[in-house]
Amino acid sequence: MKVWTIALNTFGSFLRNKLIILFVVLIACVVLLMMTPMLGMKAMTTASNAGQMQTLVLTEVSAIMSLVSGFGSLLAAWAAADAVAGEMKSGTILAVMARPVNRWEFLLGKFLGVMLMMAIYVALTFGLSYLLAWMGGERIQSTPWVLIVYPLVRYAIYASIAMLLVTFMHPVLSFGIVLVISVLAGMVTPTAQASSIFRPWLRNPLWVILPSTTLLSEDRFLSITQAALKQAGWLDHIITLAYGLDYAFVFLLLAIWSFHYRSLKRD
Amino acid sequence: MASPAIEFRNLTKIYRRRLAGQEIPALLDVSFDVFAGEVCAFLGPNGAGKTTSISILMGFLFADSGEIRVLGYHPGDVRAKQQIGFLPENFAFYKYLNAEKLLKFHFALSGGKPEDADKLIRELLYTVKLQGYENLKIAKYSRGMVQRLGIAQALLSSPQLIVLDEPTSGLDPAGRKEVRDLISALKAAGKTVFLSSHILSEVEQICDRAIIIDRGKMVRSGTMDELLGSGDRVEILANQLPEQMEPPLLEWGAAIEREAQGVRIAIDTARKREVAEMLWAAGCDVISIAPMRSSLEELFLKLVGSGGGPA
Repeated sequence: MKVWTIALNTFGSFLRNKLIILFVVLIACVVLLMMTPMLGMKAMTTASNAGQMQTLVLTEVSAIMSLVSGFGSLLAAWAAADAVAGEMKSGTILAVMARPVNRWEFLLGKFLGVMLMMAIYVALTFGLSYLLAWMGGERIQSTPWVLIVYPLVRYAIYASIAMLLVTFMHPVLSFGIVLVISVLAGMVTPTAQASSIFRPWLRNPLWVILPSTTLLSEDRFLSITQAALKQAGWLDHIITLAYGLDYAFVFLLLAIWSFHYRSLKRD
Repeated sequence: MASPAIEFRNLTKIYRRRLAGQEIPALLDVSFDVFAGEVCAFLGPNGAGKTTSISILMGFLFADSGEIRVLGYHPGDVRAKQQIGFLPENFAFYKYLNAEKLLKFHFALSGGKPEDADKLIRELLYTVKLQGYENLKIAKYSRGMVQRLGIAQALLSSPQLIVLDEPTSGLDPAGRKEVRDLISALKAAGKTVFLSSHILSEVEQICDRAIIIDRGKMVRSGTMDELLGSGDRVEILANQLPEQMEPPLLEWGAAIEREAQGVRIAIDTARKREVAEMLWAAGCDVISIAPMRSSLEELFLKLVGSGGGPA
């Protein structure tokens, strides 16, 4: 009950957080800008170039969805860092922690507040992916739950990492480190083109340690054409999601442990 | 004597700046008790360690050494916090909430039943004179109103121990009097109040005991009578004092001060009638007889000086 009270209050604060509103507006603008050439391409489609144009449209749709998904990870990280740091900076944490609330309850409430906001972001992204597919003249073949659960698990990972970092460092620095982690995680994936810039002795440990966002990317299942649809069994889903949830859980536990020993004062 | 609500035993806290290699002692071997049912003031100049002590008491900071118990529990224990109402210095709030929503939020965190919230919140807002402003965003409140709201949230869960860090800060004289009356009412209800304040005249009026710290060390503690004198001496103001009367008065331990407007004679209360009759018999006028008691401000300045460390 107390955890949920904190989560709802955190979510309410996000709805009024100017930086987060700006962030979401920025994403919306970028998406709109990227949709313009897609609509242009669709308008120029003729019988002779239909196949080529269709490929371009689908590439564009995929790019937009990757971008929105990537922004979501950053949004989750920033919101998690800000949720804790904002309370410290304003001093509101003192009155809250004077209540019969355990430190783990406070942090878990903050985390759930972040995840509540990210759930709405995922719902919007879900709607956007169907809208884009419809505008591209195709339909998404993947099962809908995949497009909801996979990004949520990925956002949970980045939120928990940011939450751990912000228990002992400045939120901007925490966000920066999460940003580097997310970029590095994408680069060290064996299938990534950029992976060749790392030597194997560095790439392999990084690949093991860093969260595998490629594996947890809903893009894997966001196949628009039936031919490209990756068939994934339940076991594949369970193992992948268990890996992601485990990663998030471990970092959340570390954040709770670190926060337990943190001095609480107005920053 | 009642059991201690707060026990500090040899508490030491040192702030360390690892990068600069600096160590700043905030509290050094501080010990004191605050007993159940009393109103105890925690005094000291800026930087003396008051807020650090209160933060340790509330479980926000950790002491380097020493023992501390709050209502019999370790600081930060939810069983203790269940019975504590706390007003931080410069009470901070969620600007997007109004008073009613903020109090409902804190009430929920206290584990209160939602159906009990409305009535209690209405009563509290009435007590702190914020009725009619419950739907106004707190961001639009004056500093005094925010402070009143802070006091209301401290009283939300009907706590046994109320910890107030500068409760009258930002309040006008009428508001300060209301807080004094409120603290007196809490005392009458058997609550323990532990407060820090710079307004020593108020502390003198409402507190049973005071603890004075300076530069992290405790310099004095005791009941107001112990600190300021219990009135066991009186000051007699007479228009004159014949020279031959001085030796017997000095023998009785009197302090004599001759001034332009007359003579001040400080003497034990037990001898006041004797001295007054001697003065009348010698043809002197006794202008006044008043119990002697130094003010808390005088004592405070004597103990800690007029300066203080950084805020």
